[in-house]
Amino acid sequence: MKHFMQNYLSPHLTARRWFLQQCGIGLGSIAMADLLAREAAAAPHYQDPLAPKAAPHPAKAKNVILLFMGGGPSQFELFDNKPTLSRLDGTLPPAEILAGYRAAFINPNSKLLGPKFPFQKHGESGAELSDRLPHLAQVADDICIIRSLKTDAFNHAPAQLMMSTGTQQFGRPSMGSWVTYGLGSESKNLPAYVVFNSGNKGPSAGAGNWNSGFLPTVHSGVEFRSGGDPVLYLSNPPGVDEQLQRTTLDAVNAINRRQLDLMGDPEIATRINSYEMAFRMQSSAPEAMDLTQEPQHILDQYGAEPGKASFANNCLLARRLVQRGVRFVQLFHESWDQHGGLTGGITNNCKATDQAAAALVADLKQQGLLDETLVIWGGEFGRTPMVQGGNDGRDHHPNSFSMWLAGGGIKPGITIGSTDDLGFNVAEDPVHVHDLHATILHLLGFDHKKLTFRFQGRDYRLTDVHGNLVQQILA
Amino acid sequence: MSVRQLILSVVSVLVLTATVFPTFAAAQELTFNRDIRPILSDNCFQCHGPDAKTRKADLRLDSREDAILSGAIVPGDFQKSGIWERITSTDPDLIMPPPDSEKTLTPEEIQTIKNWLDQGAEYQSHWAFITPVRPALPEVQHPELVANPIDRFVLKQLEQNGLSFSPLADRRTLARRMALDLVGLPPTPDQVEHFNQSANPETDQAYLNSLLNSPHYGEHWGRWWLDAARYADSDGYEKDKPREVWFYRDWVINSLNQNMPYSDFIIKQLAGDLLPERTQDDLVATGFLRNSMVNEEGGADPEQFRIEGMFDRVDAIGKAILGITTQCGQCHDHKYDPLSQEDYYQIFAALNDFHEAIATVYSPEEQQQRQQIQEQINSIEQQLKNSHPELVKAQSEWENILRDKFVSWQTITPTDIPYEGQKFRVLEDGSVLSESYAPTKSTVSLSTTVDPVKITAVRLDLLTHPQLPHNGPGRSIYGTGALTEFELHATNPETGKSERIEILEAITSSNPEETPLPNAYRDRDPEKDKRITGPVSFAIDGKNETAWTTELGPGRRNQNQHIIFILKEPLVRSAAFQLTWKLVQNHGGWNSDDNQNYLLGRYRFSVTGEDARPIAGLPSSVETALQTAPENRSEIQLADLFSFWRTTIAEFASQNEQIEALWKTYPEGSSQLVVNAMEQTRPTFLLQRGDFLKPGEQVTPGAPAFLNSYRDTPAPDRLDFARWLVADDAPTTARTVVNRIWQAYFGQGLVTTPEDLGSQSAPPSHPELLDWLAVELTESGWDLKHIHKLIVTSNTYRQQAVSTEKLLAVDPNNQLLSRGARFRVRAEVVRDIALAASGLLNPEVGGPSVFPPAPEFLFKPPSSYGPKIWNLSNTSEQHRRSLYVHRYRSVPFPPLQVFDAPKGDAACIRRTRSNTPLQALVMLNEPQFVEIARALGQRIVTEGGTTFEDRLQYAFLQTLSRPAEAQEIAILKGLYDQQLRRIEAGEVSAPDLLGLTDSEENRTPQNQQLAAWTILARAILNLDETITRQ
Repeated sequence: MKHFMQNYLSPHLTARRWFLQQCGIGLGSIAMADLLAREAAAAPHYQDPLAPKAAPHPAKAKNVILLFMGGGPSQFELFDNKPTLSRLDGTLPPAEILAGYRAAFINPNSKLLGPKFPFQKHGESGAELSDRLPHLAQVADDICIIRSLKTDAFNHAPAQLMMSTGTQQFGRPSMGSWVTYGLGSESKNLPAYVVFNSGNKGPSAGAGNWNSGFLPTVHSGVEFRSGGDPVLYLSNPPGVDEQLQRTTLDAVNAINRRQLDLMGDPEIATRINSYEMAFRMQSSAPEAMDLTQEPQHILDQYGAEPGKASFANNCLLARRLVQRGVRFVQLFHESWDQHGGLTGGITNNCKATDQAAAALVADLKQQGLLDETLVIWGGEFGRTPMVQGGNDGRDHHPNSFSMWLAGGGIKPGITIGSTDDLGFNVAEDPVHVHDLHATILHLLGFDHKKLTFRFQGRDYRLTDVHGNLVQQILA
Repeated sequence: MSVRQLILSVVSVLVLTATVFPTFAAAQELTFNRDIRPILSDNCFQCHGPDAKTRKADLRLDSREDAILSGAIVPGDFQKSGIWERITSTDPDLIMPPPDSEKTLTPEEIQTIKNWLDQGAEYQSHWAFITPVRPALPEVQHPELVANPIDRFVLKQLEQNGLSFSPLADRRTLARRMALDLVGLPPTPDQVEHFNQSANPETDQAYLNSLLNSPHYGEHWGRWWLDAARYADSDGYEKDKPREVWFYRDWVINSLNQNMPYSDFIIKQLAGDLLPERTQDDLVATGFLRNSMVNEEGGADPEQFRIEGMFDRVDAIGKAILGITTQCGQCHDHKYDPLSQEDYYQIFAALNDFHEAIATVYSPEEQQQRQQIQEQINSIEQQLKNSHPELVKAQSEWENILRDKFVSWQTITPTDIPYEGQKFRVLEDGSVLSESYAPTKSTVSLSTTVDPVKITAVRLDLLTHPQLPHNGPGRSIYGTGALTEFELHATNPETGKSERIEILEAITSSNPEETPLPNAYRDRDPEKDKRITGPVSFAIDGKNETAWTTELGPGRRNQNQHIIFILKEPLVRSAAFQLTWKLVQNHGGWNSDDNQNYLLGRYRFSVTGEDARPIAGLPSSVETALQTAPENRSEIQLADLFSFWRTTIAEFASQNEQIEALWKTYPEGSSQLVVNAMEQTRPTFLLQRGDFLKPGEQVTPGAPAFLNSYRDTPAPDRLDFARWLVADDAPTTARTVVNRIWQAYFGQGLVTTPEDLGSQSAPPSHPELLDWLAVELTESGWDLKHIHKLIVTSNTYRQQAVSTEKLLAVDPNNQLLSRGARFRVRAEVVRDIALAASGLLNPEVGGPSVFPPAPEFLFKPPSSYGPKIWNLSNTSEQHRRSLYVHRYRSVPFPPLQVFDAPKGDAACIRRTRSNTPLQALVMLNEPQFVEIARALGQRIVTEGGTTFEDRLQYAFLQTLSRPAEAQEIAILKGLYDQQLRRIEAGEVSAPDLLGLTDSEENRTPQNQQLAAWTILARAILNLDETITRQ
């Protein structure tokens, strides 16, 4: 019988059956077999969009944690050491590189500003990092630094959309949405795609950074909070205890099942499952978010403090969610827009993020999760080698910036790409945002040209009509 | 798999296909549009289609003539046809489509092409691009099942597939279905019972009319249009500042309620401002064009994002009105449809003629108030003129004296413009326009090199501009600005150093009284904010707390003004020097991510070297009028002159005071984003790769050749463009709107891609029905309610929505319309059903957007970019219908968002319809849904009789419009009894459930019962059926 089902049920129906079996807690008096039989009749026309799917190609990564450093971190103060820029501090840039260059705030013909902090080499790989990143230095051999990123936009919202969705316009699906669209979810009681926010501001492109665009809404990122209700409306209303909630759902489900009998609409079965998953999420989300379950040395490693909203807590929570089958976790830390106060701003941001980001890599590794989890750190663009204001600020710069990646099939302990002596343009191994996206999808087992969705008569992809694999960073 | 194996398997599939589908497509004459175009379009047109630039091998397959000429197609002979060899080739270098295109033809598709080539390879224009003609009504086997012509088309196809209509839905179901479809609210139990008990055509007719004539019809279908119009109450992008556009929203509601012809509905939205004798409503309608997002992020290039807005407009018009996706045309020729890049920019050009304006608009009451005030002022002035004829002569003498005293001012155009987040545009008259980011504190330093000169006084003109809010001259939400301090600096050529030039006196016509800052500009802690505005001396007093403002109160604040600064000592330079003028503007609020700026919007700087003291204190309008020769003065100028002159006459003091008092009662009005046609339209250029920095050839407005022509309009403007869109021979316009109406009733359109009727669209399920409805629409004078009536009175619509196994097998997606549609209602209706069932609904129509409870953290960083305003509305406003809930694009209202309400980032023609756990959490736990459950519980107990069963029936009728069945009663009785026991046993707190203080006196038996009913109300509100129309 089992054999028969496997052979003759279409894949989505099998997934559907899995969903019902795995998730069909508390179905009350109606027998599971009954429901399944009805489902078998009703379900051919319904596909559970979040059923787990195998990637078409061998995948290195199963999950992604994206540490989105909103605002545009300065590469010159973190990853891209430029002695020449230092030497030319206070002089004007050569006119020829400014031809056609537009800046957001400054007169492009502004004086050059040397890096504010000393750099040192770390680990066996000799990765060069500024002294603001002492913790990252400890995992230098586990990460891959790219110093040759490029993007198309130099305003925050469009550039964040570029990084999150592959275009500068609102309304396209975000990376996480594409990934859950392609891979479904491994979690039956948590959302497939979770978003956290920390920092001084919120993301410039707001929910556009995690929206599903034209993909079905189930692929939208769900905002979690490290304080209060982790998910909106997760707590029962006053007076409703777990038993009351459970009995209410039993009654609601029983009446819905009666409707399913009468109307034969598979959507009703989905509704029943949605309510069941909501019920499970009510206990599983607080459990997943409960940092007091972590041993003190782990909390210390991240610098996390249970109950306090912070990037550090969010990093640890990201690990806990990935452990529980969440496919894509996106952490925003919007604080990196140092038009002024560069020295202090970078220092503070690094204090808030360096330890936790490094701990995430180390912890994933010690938990055996790093191999299957891709960690990405970076912002929407870089900063100008030219000064903004007196001598302690930099403007937005799309021509070159730096990021790092770790785990999930990334070659560890390498630094690729370089910029010219002033850090103005990419000199070697340019990596456009589209290339980054193509590579991320590759690591997850997709050909970025084939992960498509038909909308308005066109097959859309995350990489639009662009994107080349960055071979050098593949393990 | 080796190449050889691959070939073998391809061959075997082909053989298999031939046996499995021996008569496929041969039995039936192939139709190009139905059978062939989708294959060619999807697989071939990208390289061999309309786009000339990317066309490969100079071969195009979208034109029969070209395809035959090139030998790709030999009609009647598949073997000689070039494409046959290529699509069946086993050579990876020859096979089409090529492997790297990621496209492959299925064996069936190959067979279909073979048959088509054999049958003569006939082409057709794409169906949607041929003006629809009324098709003959088909004959059906069972004409007794036909209620109106719609049914003939549907039944014909059902019969061809061995099916017939499903039985009619029962009357209660139908009553609820019609109400949810037409007004988006459940019917009252009385309505349902009346409809149920008197099953006759008169009742049906009366019920339908009551729904169509309900003001809620315009709300429900208004929201349907607002999706396409990408309506939102905020700017979008990073700052996503709130904007006032609800006048437009209400215009849509009212227009649909009045059943405005769809053609007018479109014309007004695209060109209402250009209509002869346009009304305020006509102008408000152009809000459609202004629903585009606006980016005022620091450092954003205003032209770049204006172009983005233009792209958005073309996109919205394409998808919502034309049913054609146009986006391809931004960068290149369309890959599938014959829309060239030039065609795209011809549409763009028709829209490229306006300023993005914000108008002051008035409610009908305010309109009346304005008129009365104006009449009273006119009458007082008329009385003055009548009673003092001698003084009119005095006015002309006064004018003559003044005219001789004007000094001449020389405009100084700045050449050094600040680089910062705010952007400055130097206009032709030398004035500077502030654009893009509007900081709340700003010191604008402008300068240039000036030739040797003597300067005795300088002048700052604050000028209006159509792009400033309410015309300006400032950038605040009222179009006003404040000048904290004015500074003048000049370099000393001898020392090379800059010196501050002392100002003796500042003079202007308006010297407002000392006033604390209005709330819009106050600091975060308003108590500590000591800043004030007042007379013009505040602009030169060296104090940061004081400022002069252009604010003259409602009705008068949006006009040109100027200040004259008299220098203490003449500034004399014998060599060229750097002259710098600084406008310190520090009177904005604390939040630069909100509408708190108090900036000047447009300023012109000029100087004079004359020794005579300039005449000062004249309003700019009066000055201009005086400088106009008397015979050339306009009516307005004459009125301005008199209105000012009378204020200089002591004898008129009491009349002047009366008039001043009248101005003080002038209504504030509201804001509405509108368009304001430019005197001279912008030239439009084809933008290479869509890049606004790479203009190509100049383009003028025109029509793509595959659509209707402009006929006798050689140089069309925006109004002509709007009329062209809704011309009776426009092939796609009527089809697009009837298809989208159909979609709302049946869950999917006759074309399931309503935004795209082009080559890549899904073929229509009932092409003749679509055309018939389109012709009905145009021939009825674009009467939308006529289409609604036709649909709702058809038997197609009235079928029951039961999916039997047979129907699921034969017609799985209900494309044949073998049964009634069943789907979850849209987000707004989910919430509105609950509000209505509970009795909480506030049915008021129109007005400013409302703010129901929402989690506070959403509106604060780091959840939102900056702090946003969400001032909770009063209780009854919280219960307004969901279409009135304020819509921030970046922070959507969660209870609507999780049910797929669009954010308004782009036109939404078809919502997704998801079914998720987050929806369950909203319905179960969201505070307003909890409040609604309590209210319904209360209502059940108060109004629902005394027995359990009576009460339950009452609850079902309110919520589901039907009585509960025995099994349901048993299930809910079980829940009730069990939970009431727990409440009585103290396991569950009745006061908590009811939102009361958990005290002894709140634990009464009545409250315990009420709590148990609240539990039941919550369960019933959470039923799938509650939020489903079926």
